[in-house]
Amino acid sequence: MRIPGLTTLTLASGSLLERPFRTVLTMLGIVIGVAAVFAMLSIGEGSRQKILENIDSVEARTISIFPNWNNGRASARRAWRPFTEQDVLDIQAIPGVEAATGDLSQEYSIVSETSDWRANVIGADPQYLAANDLQMQRGRPITQTEIERRETVAVIGTSVVRSLFRGQDPMGERIKIQNIPFEIIGIVDETEGTNWRGQDQNNFVLVPRPTGRARLFGDDRLVRNQVRSIRIVGATQEDLARIEREVDFIMRRSRGLTADEAPDFRIFNFSANRQAVAETQRTLSLLLATMGAVSLIVGGVGVMNIMLVSVTERTREIGLRMAIGARGSDILSQFLTEALLLSIISGLLGLGLGYAVSQVSLGTDEIEMVFSPNIAILSFGSALLVGVVFGFLPAQRASQLNPIEALRHE
Amino acid sequence: MAADQAGVPVREDKPVSALLIETRNLVKTYGRGSSVIKALDDVTLTIDRGEFVAVIGASGSGKSTLMNMLGGLDKPDGGDIAIAGQSLARMSKRALAYFRNETIGFVFQQFQLLPKKSALTNVRLPMQYRRPRLDDENERARQSLERVGLGDRVHHKPTQLSGGQQQRVAIARALVGEPELLLADEPTGALDSKTSTSVMELLVQLNRQGITIVLITHDKEVADYADRVITMRDGKIVEDVRQGVLA
Repeated sequence: MRIPGLTTLTLASGSLLERPFRTVLTMLGIVIGVAAVFAMLSIGEGSRQKILENIDSVEARTISIFPNWNNGRASARRAWRPFTEQDVLDIQAIPGVEAATGDLSQEYSIVSETSDWRANVIGADPQYLAANDLQMQRGRPITQTEIERRETVAVIGTSVVRSLFRGQDPMGERIKIQNIPFEIIGIVDETEGTNWRGQDQNNFVLVPRPTGRARLFGDDRLVRNQVRSIRIVGATQEDLARIEREVDFIMRRSRGLTADEAPDFRIFNFSANRQAVAETQRTLSLLLATMGAVSLIVGGVGVMNIMLVSVTERTREIGLRMAIGARGSDILSQFLTEALLLSIISGLLGLGLGYAVSQVSLGTDEIEMVFSPNIAILSFGSALLVGVVFGFLPAQRASQLNPIEALRHE
Repeated sequence: MAADQAGVPVREDKPVSALLIETRNLVKTYGRGSSVIKALDDVTLTIDRGEFVAVIGASGSGKSTLMNMLGGLDKPDGGDIAIAGQSLARMSKRALAYFRNETIGFVFQQFQLLPKKSALTNVRLPMQYRRPRLDDENERARQSLERVGLGDRVHHKPTQLSGGQQQRVAIARALVGEPELLLADEPTGALDSKTSTSVMELLVQLNRQGITIVLITHDKEVADYADRVITMRDGKIVEDVRQGVLA
């Protein structure tokens, strides 16, 4: 049983294999082109999904403010100034703010009856959970009363549960921090992954902030009512810009700065940051698209060039084939198949290269890539298109050779 | 297909008449205006099945043009040409390709073998363009190689063969499709005299098996192997002589 087209395929692959080095060189342009197109589409899809998935998340509605440490002009005059509990309260009062919390934390060794474990001890206020998009898994959160009375209660993250209690029920148990006993009143539900520093996000102990300030955080720079930074969550994303302006106003007033003075604090808008990242990704996509297009065209011209050389080199062979009965269409399909085969192999190699490169770049947080069959098909299709478009002219030229002249060709 | 007693295949689908080639007032010109060259000037010719004809003439006499016409590689500007009952002058390119594949076997001066392919692959090549494809291509190619005495060189590449052997492979390739007509264009032009003799003897032998051969040459000695010698000059047939078969 004969498979239609098999002869043509055998013929084309045979002729490519006869000149392996040339074949590989010819394929290079298309390989790079397809890889670039593949990467471009994956990054484009990544940035699109990133924007989509974050549009309503707490993170997309979050603003953080930090003091300038030593790189602002204002802070050059003074040491860095922390924010105060009053700043937190003032910010909480801004209309449209869903939650705001101050940050005061330090890593300590946490000691249970049977073992010990290092975790981040965080001084929490009533809005801490809301501002960090956390839910209780068991027990209850720290109350306003407990905060005011500086009670020694603790709410712990799941990593602490796992590491310190190993299957035992931690509720109501006591842990010691700096030799001070705290009673566990609740467990926070697990959140996925690590934070931007790469730390385990579930490895923390929440204590009332005044308790922590009075009995644990012995940092003399952080007296009485101070916090290191403030995290603010707006009710809607549209409000963020206005909230940001109001935060700026309140902080300037609180720190005695005029409107045109350089601030000694910085405001981070996560959403703006995200959008900047997405913007970077779009730029990167565009760059890759350009590179991909240029590479594909150059690769295509390479294919055309090599096919023209091949047609010239094999003029006598073409003449002979025609003399013994090959029709123009037979010759056309022979050379077109050769160009297509080049493109198909290059396309597959390009997909492989694109995937390999993306695996490397996935290690960086800045670039997000999303793969889909459509992207692979599209990138691969671009290689085929290049093969057909640039392979056609040489193939057509071959098919229109005059057999008499072709046979005489030296 | 059946075979007659001499082992020569006979096509059953066509009436077998003695007449194989008939040209009438064939004209072919090249160039334009004052520099027009009449490569063929009113050539009328008939060749019967089983003949061994040599067309002889100096270069530019029109013998190559005549061969291209007979082989369906070129079309006349005037007149008509019929081979095995098929009129070629108005055939489409596609039909001509099919005609060449079915009816003609070409042997060229420069052998025109694919250098990186085995003798078998080279001989099989015309089968690739046969419609419909045949199932016993390899077997036919092998038999064809045996017919020219190269049954033991099936897997050799042209570079591993002598000039004479290469031309035999080319002859096997011409025979594999069981053509009506073997067209040989200076088949010994690239060979030394001893090898030439053996190639010519092979052609004579094939002719005795019933194959019609038209041989184009400028060499009188080569032409002497044929039964009939047609001499051309300036696009015209100037002499057409039947001669006794050489012993």
